[in-house]
Amino acid sequence: MRHFLDALKSVATIAKSFGRKTNTVQYPKVLRPRAERYRASFALLHEADGDEACIGCLQCERICPSKVIAIKGPAKRDSPITGKKRSYADDFTLDLSACIFCELCVQVCPTDAIVMTREQEEPAYGRESLVLNMARLYENEKTKTRAWGDGTKLMEMQTPPKPPKPAPVEGAPVAAAPVVAAPVTAAAVDAVPVAAAPAVPTSEPSVAPAPIIPKPEGGTP
Amino acid sequence: MTQLTVTAQKRPNPYLSIDSLDPESELMLLHFGPQHPSTHGVFRMDLYLDGEIIVKAVPHCGYLHRAVEKLCEKLSYVQLTPIVDKNDYVAPMTNEQAIVMACEAMLKLEVPRRARWMRALFAELQRIASHLLAIGTFCLDLGGALGGGSTAFIYCFRERELILDLFEDVTGARFHYNTHTIGGNRHDLPAGWGAKVKAVLDVIEARMPEYAALTIENRIFQQRTKNVGVLDGELALELGVTGPNLRASGIDHDLRRDAPFHAYDEVKVNVAVATGGDCYARSIVRVAEVKESLRLCRAFLDGMPEGPINSGKPTKLTVQTKIPAGQVYVGIETPRGELGTWLITDGTQNAYRLKIRPPSLHALSALPYILPGYTVSDAVAILGSLDPIMGEVDR
Repeated sequence: MRHFLDALKSVATIAKSFGRKTNTVQYPKVLRPRAERYRASFALLHEADGDEACIGCLQCERICPSKVIAIKGPAKRDSPITGKKRSYADDFTLDLSACIFCELCVQVCPTDAIVMTREQEEPAYGRESLVLNMARLYENEKTKTRAWGDGTKLMEMQTPPKPPKPAPVEGAPVAAAPVVAAPVTAAAVDAVPVAAAPAVPTSEPSVAPAPIIPKPEGGTP
Repeated sequence: MTQLTVTAQKRPNPYLSIDSLDPESELMLLHFGPQHPSTHGVFRMDLYLDGEIIVKAVPHCGYLHRAVEKLCEKLSYVQLTPIVDKNDYVAPMTNEQAIVMACEAMLKLEVPRRARWMRALFAELQRIASHLLAIGTFCLDLGGALGGGSTAFIYCFRERELILDLFEDVTGARFHYNTHTIGGNRHDLPAGWGAKVKAVLDVIEARMPEYAALTIENRIFQQRTKNVGVLDGELALELGVTGPNLRASGIDHDLRRDAPFHAYDEVKVNVAVATGGDCYARSIVRVAEVKESLRLCRAFLDGMPEGPINSGKPTKLTVQTKIPAGQVYVGIETPRGELGTWLITDGTQNAYRLKIRPPSLHALSALPYILPGYTVSDAVAILGSLDPIMGEVDR
C-alpha cells in the first residue's frame, strides 16, 4: 500500500513537472544576456580625436599575473593627429590562451586604453588565432561590445571619497545597534565594569542617530 | 566559545595494519580513480578488497598539483588573488578572502565596514552555491539507488546558476572573480542588485522542501547513507577535519561564530550540528547550512552599510608593494571547513612562504580510517559525502 502511494506521488510529481518552464536555452540560436561587467576578451581603444590611447607605459605588462601581455616600446613619436610628440606602444600582443581574465590590466591602465569586451565566446581553430596582436585588438574596438569596466571607473569605485567619509561612520552603528546591545546587557548582568563602561558610550551614540535607520535600507543597492 | 580537547588515542595505523584480513583469503587490489567520475576530480585510492569488502584503503593525491604555493612566492602580493581563486574552484570567493585577509593583517590595514559586509554576503552566497553542488553531486554518487540521482543534481545546478549569475553581475565573472583586493573590494554592488539577490533567495527557499524530499527525506537516500562511513568526533578532531564534516560528527565548531571575521561578529550565526558522523548526518548538516545561509544573506543584505568599499591605500598598491617582515596565520570558515593561510614575509615584494591549509585535504585523510569494512559502492558514497575538491587538496 505504501509503495502504491509512492507510485501515485511520483506520477503526480511528473504531472506537475510538465508545466514547468525550461531553464536552458537553445544555445547557438539563443544567447543568454550577459552582465554589463562580463569579461571575455580584450580591445584597445582610440581616443576621441582618433589617436591611439595606449602610451606603452608597460603597467599592464608588469601587473599581469600570467605574463600574457608583451609590449614593444614605449617609443616617442609625433602624433599624426595633433602633431605633438608623445609615446606609443610599437607592438602589443596579448595571448588569450593563457589569460586568466583577472581584469588587473584594465584596472592599472592610466589612459583607459585597454578594456574588456563581453562577447560570450571566443572560439578559434588554433592556438595562433588566440594571440591578439595590435591590429586585432584595435579591430575588437569596432566589432565587439565593450564591458563596463575601464581604469578610471574601477579606480573611482575603489577610491574612498574624501568629504563624505563621516557618512559610513554615522550609518555604521545603526545596523550594529541591536547586535551591540545584546553584549552590553550581558556584560551588565555579569557586573564587569571594565567591559560595561566602554560598551555603553559606544552604544549610546549608535542609538542616538535614530532617524538614519532607513539609510542602510536605501543604501542597499 | 567551545573548547575543543583532543585526547590522542592509540589507533591501529590504517596504512600498515590489515588486522581484519583473513590470512587464507586473497586480497584484490583495485585502483579507484584517478579517472573516475565519482572521485570529484583526479584522486586515486588503492583499495584492498576481500570480496567486495574494503580491507585497507590508501589514498593518493597530487594529480592536480599546480605548484600554487611556489607560484605565490614568485608573484607580488596584488597578483595573488586571481591565482588562489583556482584552488577551491567551487568556492573561489572564500579563497580570495583568505589570502587578502592575510595580507591585510600583515599591513595592518583596516577594511571599510561596507567591504566587510560585502565579503560576508559573498561568502554566504558562495556557501549556498557550494553546498548545492555538494548535495547534487552526492546524489549523483549514490547513483542507481536514486534513479541515477540526476534529478537532484540538475535541480541543484539550476539554483546554483542563479547565484553564479548574481556574482557575474557584480564581478563580471562566473567563477574566477578577482573581486577582492588588499584593503577592500574591487567591485561595488551595482544598482538594483539587492532586489535580484532577494528574488533568488526566495526562489531557493521555496525549493528547499523539494531538495529535502529528494535527498534527506527520501527513503532510498536514507537507506543508502545511514550508518555508512561513520567518522567519530574524536578521530575527526585528531585528523583536523573541519567544516560540515566535523559538525556532522557532533562537534560544535564553526569559525564564523567562534572566531568571527568579516561581519560575523555583528550577525548571529546559528551553527548546524548533527550527531552520527555518517554520510546521512553530513547531508543533513549541509541542507541545514543552506537554510541558515539564506537567513544570513538576508541579514547581510538588509544591514548593508553605505560607504567606501576600499580603504584607499590599495589603489596605490602596485607590483612593487612591499609587506614588512613577519608572519601571520588567518583561518576562515569556507563551505568545506577551515581554510588557513600562513603567510611569511621577508620585507620584499614577494612572499617568503605561503602555506595554504585546505580543509578538503584533512577530510580526505579520514578515508583510510573510515573506509575499511564497507563495500566499494559505499566508498563512492563516503568520498562524495566528504565533499573534497581536488583543486585545493593538491594546490
